[in-house]
Amino acid sequence: MASVTIPDAARPCLAKRVRLQSDSMTGKSVLLFPEGIVELNETAHEILSRCDGRTFSEIVHTLAEEYDADPTPLAADVRETLADLHQRKLIELR
Amino acid sequence: MTAPRPYALLAELTYQCPLHCPYCSNPTRARNDHELTTNDWKRVIHEAAALGVLQIGFSGGEPLARRDLTDLIRAAREEKLYSNLITSGIGLDDDRVCVLRDAGLDSIQLSFQSDNTDLADEIAGARAHQRKLDAAVKIRAAGIPLSLNFVIHRRNIDRLPQMIELTEMLGAERVELANVQFYGWAFLNRAALLPTREQVVRAREIATAAKARLAGTIDIFYVLPDYYETRPKPCLNGWGQHYLTVNPIGDVLPCPTASSAIPDLRFENARAHTLDWIWRESESFNRFRGTEWMPEPCQSCPQREIDFGGCRCQAALLTGNAANTDPVCTLSSNRALVDAVLNDINSSSEHARDWTYRTNPKNVLVHHS
Repeated sequence: MASVTIPDAARPCLAKRVRLQSDSMTGKSVLLFPEGIVELNETAHEILSRCDGRTFSEIVHTLAEEYDADPTPLAADVRETLADLHQRKLIELR
Repeated sequence: MTAPRPYALLAELTYQCPLHCPYCSNPTRARNDHELTTNDWKRVIHEAAALGVLQIGFSGGEPLARRDLTDLIRAAREEKLYSNLITSGIGLDDDRVCVLRDAGLDSIQLSFQSDNTDLADEIAGARAHQRKLDAAVKIRAAGIPLSLNFVIHRRNIDRLPQMIELTEMLGAERVELANVQFYGWAFLNRAALLPTREQVVRAREIATAAKARLAGTIDIFYVLPDYYETRPKPCLNGWGQHYLTVNPIGDVLPCPTASSAIPDLRFENARAHTLDWIWRESESFNRFRGTEWMPEPCQSCPQREIDFGGCRCQAALLTGNAANTDPVCTLSSNRALVDAVLNDINSSSEHARDWTYRTNPKNVLVHHS
């Protein structure tokens, strides 16, 4: 299935049925939803923990500043991660 | 053997149910005379979380028949478990749905027997369909994520398109179109439930097309009719690997149907042992864990860590030995048992229509005067 491109002005947030929490056994972040569990890598965790109503551009901007990273390749990475999560219906775009 | 970490607990709170579906996977001869108490369940939930469990499904029977369901959902929430209520919807009035939500319930899976009221009520053996439609509206109004589950069999499989339409109409986010699997009452009623090959082929096409059409809107999960497959399902993703079930009387099971399908295996009870011990040390959880127990052709099969030899309960029910390869596999020396059943249904136009409705277990009441 072709994934959706995340527009710069979109406000990604967790889908209603999805809960983000820390797994006390591993210390890692997990997404919990009715039919499964996804363990997040550090990048996905850093992105998702900023999906709180901010736009895509704002999330990239914040991450670029915090990690002193070049925003252009960073935006591509963030977009790819969010598109994957969106395709799996784990995030919504508002 | 080192036990892996379980991720999900299925809590079967009671075998009582207002419906009488002939495909129910509950045991046909269930005991329900010593249901776990509220405190027993709270301890089970606590012990499950300590073992690493992250998700809990409240099921049955009908879990709404337990008046302490709210307390148990709250207990699960306190342990940070993600909770899913697997229900017929009967007993879910306005007040209760909000109480359950406020206690921390994360999602609801609502069962339907058909999209058509008469057929649905005939299958359920109860006037339930309209109440389910009402329940779906209440769940949506309460803002609880909703998924639907249709068990598919010969009598309703031709209505797949209408079932998908109903799912769209009710605003569910996900639907399971689950071909009946033959355990419990379904095994007893197999001749009346097994679809024909023609029906199965058509249903698969419909499900595949709907999946593509509704991608991004509704998640369609189609459960294959395993008798018509050539390789077995990866049952539980391996015995004692990710899942455990606690049944209404407290028996702790690798899968919900194990206690009735595999009578020669002794299952431990949560009243007598900790979940931790049962998961790691008990004979029942270790018996089919990993790959060492496997006979040929599984032992040397490249698929052995893909399908794990299939389903132990199915092997037991069809061959009399739970350690055999699942006879659904065409590499199994017992595949002829499955083919004989398929031949019966596909070679004749005279199909059995009668089924035995599921009945509730009789409670043994002891009166002290």
